[in-house]
Amino acid sequence: MKRGPYPAGPEDDSRGNLQEEALEEEEVRDEKEGSPEYPFGPRVAGEEGTAARLVRAVGRGPLHAVIIGISILWMVPALGLLVSSFRERQAITRTGWWEAFTTPTEFTIQNYQDVLTGQGMGTAFINSVIITVPATILTVMVAALAAYAFAWMPLPGRNWWFLLVVALMVVPLQLTLIPVLRLFADLGLTGTYWGIWLAHAAYGLPLGVFLLRNFFVALPKDLLESAFLEGASHTTAFFRIVLPLSVPSLAALGIFQFLWVWNDLLIALVYLGGTRDVAPMTVVISNLVSSFGTEWHLLTAAAFVSVILPLTIFFALQRYFVQGLLAGAVKG
Amino acid sequence: MARVFYENVYKRWKETVAVKDFTLEIADKEFLVLVGPSGSGKSTALRLLAGLDSISDGKIYIGDRVINNVAPKDRDIAMVFQTYALYPHMSVHDNVGFGLKLRKMPKDQIHEKVLQAAQVLGIEPLLDRKPGQLSGGQRQRVALARAIVREPKVFLLDEPLSNLDAKLRVQTRAEISKLHQRLGTTFIYVTHDQVEAMTMATQIAVMNFGVIQQVGTPQFLYDHPTNVFVAGFIGSPSMNFFEVTVSGDADQVCLVADSGMSLPVPAKKRRALEKYRDKKIVFGIRPEDIHDPDFVPPDTEVAPLDTAVEVTELMGNEVFLHLTHGENNFLARVDPRTAAQPGSKMELMVGMDNMHAFDPESEQTIFSPEEEEPESPRQPKRSPATGVAEGAWITSRESAAPGSAQPEAEEEGKVELDKLAKEEAVTEQVAKPRGVPKDQADQD
Ligand SMILES: Nc1ncnc2c1ncn2[C@@H]1O[C@H](COP(=O)(O)OP(=O)(O)O)[C@@H](O)[C@H]1O
Ligand SMILES: [Mg+2]
Repeated sequence: MKRGPYPAGPEDDSRGNLQEEALEEEEVRDEKEGSPEYPFGPRVAGEEGTAARLVRAVGRGPLHAVIIGISILWMVPALGLLVSSFRERQAITRTGWWEAFTTPTEFTIQNYQDVLTGQGMGTAFINSVIITVPATILTVMVAALAAYAFAWMPLPGRNWWFLLVVALMVVPLQLTLIPVLRLFADLGLTGTYWGIWLAHAAYGLPLGVFLLRNFFVALPKDLLESAFLEGASHTTAFFRIVLPLSVPSLAALGIFQFLWVWNDLLIALVYLGGTRDVAPMTVVISNLVSSFGTEWHLLTAAAFVSVILPLTIFFALQRYFVQGLLAGAVKG
Repeated sequence: MARVFYENVYKRWKETVAVKDFTLEIADKEFLVLVGPSGSGKSTALRLLAGLDSISDGKIYIGDRVINNVAPKDRDIAMVFQTYALYPHMSVHDNVGFGLKLRKMPKDQIHEKVLQAAQVLGIEPLLDRKPGQLSGGQRQRVALARAIVREPKVFLLDEPLSNLDAKLRVQTRAEISKLHQRLGTTFIYVTHDQVEAMTMATQIAVMNFGVIQQVGTPQFLYDHPTNVFVAGFIGSPSMNFFEVTVSGDADQVCLVADSGMSLPVPAKKRRALEKYRDKKIVFGIRPEDIHDPDFVPPDTEVAPLDTAVEVTELMGNEVFLHLTHGENNFLARVDPRTAAQPGSKMELMVGMDNMHAFDPESEQTIFSPEEEEPESPRQPKRSPATGVAEGAWITSRESAAPGSAQPEAEEEGKVELDKLAKEEAVTEQVAKPRGVPKDQADQD
């Protein structure tokens, strides 16, 4: 900082990341405390620090215990399901799943083969993907565009329109089935993928617009104003500024919508019909339950086939998911 | 060229009036600082010019073009925001070149211009970094680079230094002044900090409650504040005010108060005070015009004042004395060799040549610069980069002479000339200023 007002050069790196700088300072202080060369160091502060840290750890103990307890409660049945899906039919009816480990030889992947080929879960899996992926992308895209307009375009009565959209969230889905179905029939959309994509997008939009609008509004106003001054149109601002900065919230909405569409049975049944060649996994599984209610080895395997993709996606994007939820929570 | 002219501009938000009858001319190449307390409408005035808020009433010109309905991007301005508003997901290079890219400039040309701007501000080594990896001062320079790269006609800066630490602020202040001289472009700079205004401006416009209080060079505002607000706002530490009564006859006019104060008024100031005889006025005196009796500067007309010293603050080259006189608490800035001791009583000397007086009702100054006799040629503190008359004496509409109201726009050219002529007339009669020590302003 001594080299004049516009220091330029690698030396200036020392001022780099402010947080890092703060961290470094803390480290330096800790070193001083520990070393005998600094007998007058802020010892008391250090002791308080340790004590405070202990208090915090103890204070968090119960919280951690509760979280671990809940996790176990959730994990145990899921684990049972997973183990059962690899056991033979007789084994499942004879002993509990926790006894499976005593005789490891009885594990098999026959159940999965049966379910995927014999029961049509393979086709259903592909159908589910065909339904879910476009329905998710459509929802996120339209929601982002609408949210941008609600957040940043000076439209008359903007907030009233937004309230209307939010109010749509409380309309029960079942109420809309018959009118929408009649509309689809008129338009020739029943039983087509386009019909179900549009339906899912429409049902997902109120929440999507709500989430994204609140996130977009929280972006610094200066940022967009600066872009506008530099000649950006709304389109440019949307694609170059808002979208790149909103990846967490877009991912969060994407996961929400993906899970919702993936797990949906009602809308698929109503708008798509139960025909085998277009039925998603939820429809196939529900058929399995009604026709093979006691064939647990098949049902458990089918259940695991259906959760494998959402689980993968969730783990891949969970960082964004948590960030996105928090971002919405802090500023909303 | 890039003259900016606000003509009776209003900005209303439902109930609040953020900017009220704002008339201000900013000549080409001027460094105008818009200064006032927070909430006084400075940012709003700037945003109206940038096109970020719509104008409720009145017109704004850039050059000869009314820009009320021109899109922000077509106004040929660049703005530096208080928060810098750097795009966090882009590298410094892309941040600086963003505006050029939007103008469809070829890539290699953008690169060249970005490098040039980076050179001017000394941020070449940072071009590949993201804003999150920069310090506050570096971010600030990137924001400046992004503004200059587009070569706008007018630069707008809204409190660009307020997020820097004190030391960096002093450095960057000088850098921005240098940048202004180098680019020779009109700068409009908003701040709540009168020190920034005093040190950087070629012209200052003081705002309060959405109204322009006074416009002029830093020196002129310091010497001839038009009302109590400007007097108290410009200068640090601020001016002391006392409520006094004017008494005496034509030969001997005194400012008296119940506390035993009795200060004779110098001859050249008497005429203006005549109509206040036996009435109350607000007497104003700057801390640097109250002297230790042993260190009174030569040729100063002084009057004694009994005071009690409460606290002394040694600042190195001077001492601040916190004083009381009667009910009044006030401050003096005296020679460091003073014998003043906290808790003691002391007679100090008030430099009456530099007294200010204000009407207690309107709070407007009683002395106008024309009424004071010029003693010696005016020595400008710095030569502004413009031909505009120094010490233009434009007041807010409430207090303005009838002539200063702006008629219809079609007569603008003529009005302009008239105004300039008037300003020149004023300048000739302006009284001799006292120098503001440069380091005084830096004290904050
Ligand atoms: N968008 C807005 N809506 C309503 N009032 C506003 C808005 N922006 C500013 N104001 C009001 O206008 C006044 C001036 O604000 P501003 O120009 O930001 O002041 P300054 O920059 O001098 O601190 C304030 O009273 C502020 O509350
Ligand atoms: Mg402001």
